[in-house]
Amino acid sequence: MSLKKSISNLKLPHYKSTAGMAAVRMPIPKEVLIPLSPMNAHHATQSEPIVQVGDHVTVGQMIAREKDRGASHIHASVSGTVTGIEPYTMGSGSGTAIRIESDGKMEKCPDLKIPHPTNLDEFLQCVRDSGVVGLGGAAYPVWAKLSAAQKTHISTVLVNGAECEPFITADHRVMLEQGDLIQKGIELLKEFMGSEEFIIGIEENKPDAIAQLTERFKDDKAVKIMPLSSVYPQGAKQVLLYNATGKVVEKGQRLASLGVIIINVSSLVKMAEYFVTGMPMVERIITVDGSAVKEPKNLIVPIGCSVRDVVEACGGLKEEPGKILFGGAMMGKTQESMDARIMKATNAVVIMNKKDTKKTAPSPCIHCGRCVAVCPLGLNPTAFARAMELEDDAARAALLQKEQVKVCMQCGCCSYVCPAHRPLAENNNAGIGFLRKWEKEHPEGGKN
Amino acid sequence: MEQLVMSSGPHIHSGASDRRIMLDVILALLPAAVAGVILFGIPALWVILTCVLSAVISEFLFNLIARKKQSVGDLSAVVTGLLLALNLSVNVPLWQAALGTVFAIVLVKCVFGGIGRNFANPAITGRVFLLIAFPSTVAGGALPKGIDAASSATPLDLIGVEGAQLPTLLQMFLGQRGGAIGETCILALLIGFAYLLLRKVIRWEIPVIFVGTVFLLSLIFGGFNTAVYEVLAGGLVLGAVFMATDYTTTPITARARMLFALGCGLITFAIRWFCALPEGVSYSILCMNILAPWLEKWTRRKPLGGV
Repeated sequence: MSLKKSISNLKLPHYKSTAGMAAVRMPIPKEVLIPLSPMNAHHATQSEPIVQVGDHVTVGQMIAREKDRGASHIHASVSGTVTGIEPYTMGSGSGTAIRIESDGKMEKCPDLKIPHPTNLDEFLQCVRDSGVVGLGGAAYPVWAKLSAAQKTHISTVLVNGAECEPFITADHRVMLEQGDLIQKGIELLKEFMGSEEFIIGIEENKPDAIAQLTERFKDDKAVKIMPLSSVYPQGAKQVLLYNATGKVVEKGQRLASLGVIIINVSSLVKMAEYFVTGMPMVERIITVDGSAVKEPKNLIVPIGCSVRDVVEACGGLKEEPGKILFGGAMMGKTQESMDARIMKATNAVVIMNKKDTKKTAPSPCIHCGRCVAVCPLGLNPTAFARAMELEDDAARAALLQKEQVKVCMQCGCCSYVCPAHRPLAENNNAGIGFLRKWEKEHPEGGKN
Repeated sequence: MEQLVMSSGPHIHSGASDRRIMLDVILALLPAAVAGVILFGIPALWVILTCVLSAVISEFLFNLIARKKQSVGDLSAVVTGLLLALNLSVNVPLWQAALGTVFAIVLVKCVFGGIGRNFANPAITGRVFLLIAFPSTVAGGALPKGIDAASSATPLDLIGVEGAQLPTLLQMFLGQRGGAIGETCILALLIGFAYLLLRKVIRWEIPVIFVGTVFLLSLIFGGFNTAVYEVLAGGLVLGAVFMATDYTTTPITARARMLFALGCGLITFAIRWFCALPEGVSYSILCMNILAPWLEKWTRRKPLGGV
């Protein structure tokens, strides 16, 4: 292993003005449109609707069933009538979504029961029933992640409370307001997975959360609260793992094979909540912020509500929007309209005004090396840029392979620091896309 | 519906720009330029202005004729002109200074594709071109005003010469010795160095390793006094701070940059000590410029989670 110090080093403006704002419940929306797939490019999979147009549904009632590990059970987030099962597109993803017109009553599903698992398999089944997915953005079902414990002993659970993205304070609020559920979640994992070590990694820009959780777990030897320096991307899997444990997931390796899993603190809490209330995942805390939002807030929102409803709950917009992001300012995904829907893994809605959206035209690379110095994984984005300029596909693929573009996790540090304003992260992504396609077409590795 | 921008992240930027970096380099060079004018008089100002103006004008005209996007706004031509001027003797005829600048801008920078594309440092190449073309006027270091000396020989010529009168160390530090316009006042150069560090335009490694290597080798071969003079004399500090740190012509990774600096130090010392030439800073940087891509290759590291 060559890299030793904290491998991320980018100091970003935090813009975490909502950190002190307790999460408030938004008014019941008139309708929700719940997408049946996690809507990211890698998981094309989606869940199967089990309700029909005209059906009456209640909060927590299952409305779509997962078909495989990539998707999750979907539950009604409001009570009311199913008015449509329709196509839905979002960014690069497309699929089906269920529209429910709310009756305004938020009537709870009468069939919900508090689960009492007795062994790991039952526990995993319960987590599966809860519909909880990775809430940090990956949206990978939590039960599928935890199921690694069936094959490998998971000795260490790394609870990710870094929340390194600018603007977002949703996890911060969860840590402050739902400490008892964090405790419950840890107890569940201890009981059913037999994990011995729990590390809650929190960036030091959240001293109140660090203090509260340290106090809460002061008698529990298994739980360690680990303050982390506030450098981006502290919360990225590889970075957090390395900075917290010194371990590295090598190429072709799975995190679980190191005896470690990483779970986002909000996912842990959502999972624990199911074992306390019996209510599956139908709502979450999101941060609503950005220069165009009148009153930035942390909101508790039902899954499937629109950006428009969310914004209305925040006093509306004070300026014309230039960009709507799901997620933070670094890795957030742009949305096409105010009709975009909050999904399980949406942790923030950031709406920037026109001025903040302006882009400076790129100028030639001056070889300053800032992108190389800032890359937490030790990659060279200028090499990817050079590769993408090559005309010959084989030569391009060879250079991308040699420089290992596929290691890139799209954190965006390189683009952020580039004085020439070159779209390096975007280019890395294009390189990954190109190489995946090329390798599929040349399974022999291109040696001809 | 309003027009929303669709783009991939990141959606914020550090605010750094090429122009700001170039401006910082210019600001960092100003103390040395001012010191040069104070030490060598108004003629030094004419050399500086000639180089800066001919740099900007030649880049402007090249872009115009080659129908390329105008690039003088990025201020890199100003940096090249200023750097070259500070590397010239105050005695250089202005037409020669202009010719060297045009050579640097057009043949070393523009024809290779402009900023970021040149393989060698334009200012150094311009200086070397002038050294070869007009050795008598460029190389001979003029003496500052008010300094009495029989010849215009620079301290580097004098080190090791029996009975030669060397300037005191304080004189050397403040620039009261023969040499190029911007290379003599070490104090001014250090102020510029500090500013560049403060602005995070450069890191300390290259200048410190470059100068440190020359110092150590001189210490071993010539003793402490010689080593101090070797560091303060010639264009070592100017070259180490401002030319061996040029982004485009040095390696992109931190480890390769350290190796680059080490190589610069070794070659500079070798030229100064073993060759007939009195000065080796320019040649050492030029040599290492050519090696830069290989240094990157040799020091490549395994990325985290890669092979």
